[in-house]
Amino acid sequence: MNFNRIKAIAARKFSSIRRDHRMFAFIVMMPAIQILLFGFAIGASPTGLEVITVGEHAIIDELEDSEYLELTSMENVEEARDLVEKGEAWAVIEIENGTIILHFDASNQQVMQTISQEVRTALEATAPSLPITQADPVHGQAEPEFIDFLAPGIMVLVCFMFSVILTAMAFVGERNDGTLDRLFAAGVQPLEVMIGHLSAFSLILVGQVSVVIAIAIGLFEIPLEGSLVLLFALALLLGWAAMCLGLLISSKAKSEFQAMQLTMPILFPVLLLSGILWPVEALPAGLSHISQVLPTTWAAEAFRSIMMRGWGIEADIVWKAFIIVGIFGTATLLGAAKSLKIKS
Amino acid sequence: MAVEISGLKRGFGKVEVLKGLDMSVDSGSIYGLLGPSGCGKTTLLKVMLGFLTPEDGTVKVPKGIPGSTVGYAPQELALYLDLTISETLLFHGRLHEMSIEDIKDKKSWLMNFLDLPDENRQIGKLSGGEKRRVSLAIALLHNPSLLLLDEPTVGVDPELRARIWGHMKEITSQGTTIIITTHYIDEAGKADRVGLMRNGKLLAEDSPSALMSKHDTKSLEEVFLKLCRREVKVAE
Repeated sequence: MNFNRIKAIAARKFSSIRRDHRMFAFIVMMPAIQILLFGFAIGASPTGLEVITVGEHAIIDELEDSEYLELTSMENVEEARDLVEKGEAWAVIEIENGTIILHFDASNQQVMQTISQEVRTALEATAPSLPITQADPVHGQAEPEFIDFLAPGIMVLVCFMFSVILTAMAFVGERNDGTLDRLFAAGVQPLEVMIGHLSAFSLILVGQVSVVIAIAIGLFEIPLEGSLVLLFALALLLGWAAMCLGLLISSKAKSEFQAMQLTMPILFPVLLLSGILWPVEALPAGLSHISQVLPTTWAAEAFRSIMMRGWGIEADIVWKAFIIVGIFGTATLLGAAKSLKIKS
Repeated sequence: MAVEISGLKRGFGKVEVLKGLDMSVDSGSIYGLLGPSGCGKTTLLKVMLGFLTPEDGTVKVPKGIPGSTVGYAPQELALYLDLTISETLLFHGRLHEMSIEDIKDKKSWLMNFLDLPDENRQIGKLSGGEKRRVSLAIALLHNPSLLLLDEPTVGVDPELRARIWGHMKEITSQGTTIIITTHYIDEAGKADRVGLMRNGKLLAEDSPSALMSKHDTKSLEEVFLKLCRREVKVAE
């Protein structure tokens, strides 16, 4: 390995990236837009839910103050159910002889749960003598929001996805236009090409990771109980590993279209099997094994532990995440260098 | 002898490209490899560069290939279109670990010699002939002892082509070996030795004058024609 050649390749690649304005805008804007969209669209509780009340009860006054529900009162349960039937309301809260009867449009589970939760909260407020009380939670907030679970996972997804896309097309063109042959003729080794490209993209990676973390914590106020430095370090390592995977794709693909084709089937399992959208504990046995070997599963769990639980590097989940992501990155980097053959 | 090849066979999948090729190139000489498109010239150069392994036969090239021993100008231009001329030469000089002073000296010489436009022009905005000259400049930049030039003079004007040949003669007298592929017959005639290539084999190789007297013709073109006809007859 020759450090001077790596430096030359990195400098050359970096000036190419800097000069390609469209690519540069894509690189800087896309992760920001992505995390903004996720933050606004997913995880927040739905608001403005139409609910009809029939009858009188103390909880109804309480529910009037709910930020999620829009209450209308009616006399007749059958007429109220008709409105739910027609999709004009999500639920009827019927009071009959002091009993609360809920009639739901259960076609949307998230909406149904929000209404149930509001009714339960109202009930606790009006009848505090229930034989159940929640102590201060060990980790997290007393009323956890879905976005708090989701945000660390989405951060992992965005760091991973855009790093893969960034490098997946890195030298597809260079192999076809002969420039890579010229490098090889000069005695450059494949691993030097790979490390040169990685170094050139590293500055961009630092920018991407900073933007993602800043938006999550600054704008969406996702709690950060643990160390920001640790979070940043893991995000960088994950992005670096993803860039190595992108380089592997780039070394295999014969065209840019093929590089995209190879990228898509990798990103979907990452999204669905890494516990980003839904807990991995819910996966069936077979898929749960796959989930366990994905570096993003470990990264997402470690992100959550650092952010919500305030855990440090001494926690098993956190240091293991660093090691597994690191091994994954190194292995794919070596694989990429190996598949970029000089000889054929 | 700088390059010595015997019985070289190499193909791609089921397609045979080089079918038992023999070739010898003297040190400090210009070897013109003449043949139509698709006869295997580029494949042959890639074998010499070590990019393609022979299926059969032996290939002897100088030590340090790939590496700074060789200067290679591929047929496809193989340039980074977004870099300027200056950045391109700086990049390739750094790959060969030349000092910045050496790169600058050689750059100003090459810019002048190859009549290149402003060094801050972007490669992508140059004409085809200018790009080809930049490609040649990269190959010459680090003073390699073996030059492999794949059709370096396509689209270059005659005056400049003559100058390039003049320079090639000069550096071969200092010990550099040059293998140049071309399909311009008159150009091949200026080489010290010419290999006439067709269908993955050399039909003949010798100095242009020896080839012409041996076949009793006045031009290389007639030599080529005679040899082709003979080959076709043998095949029939």
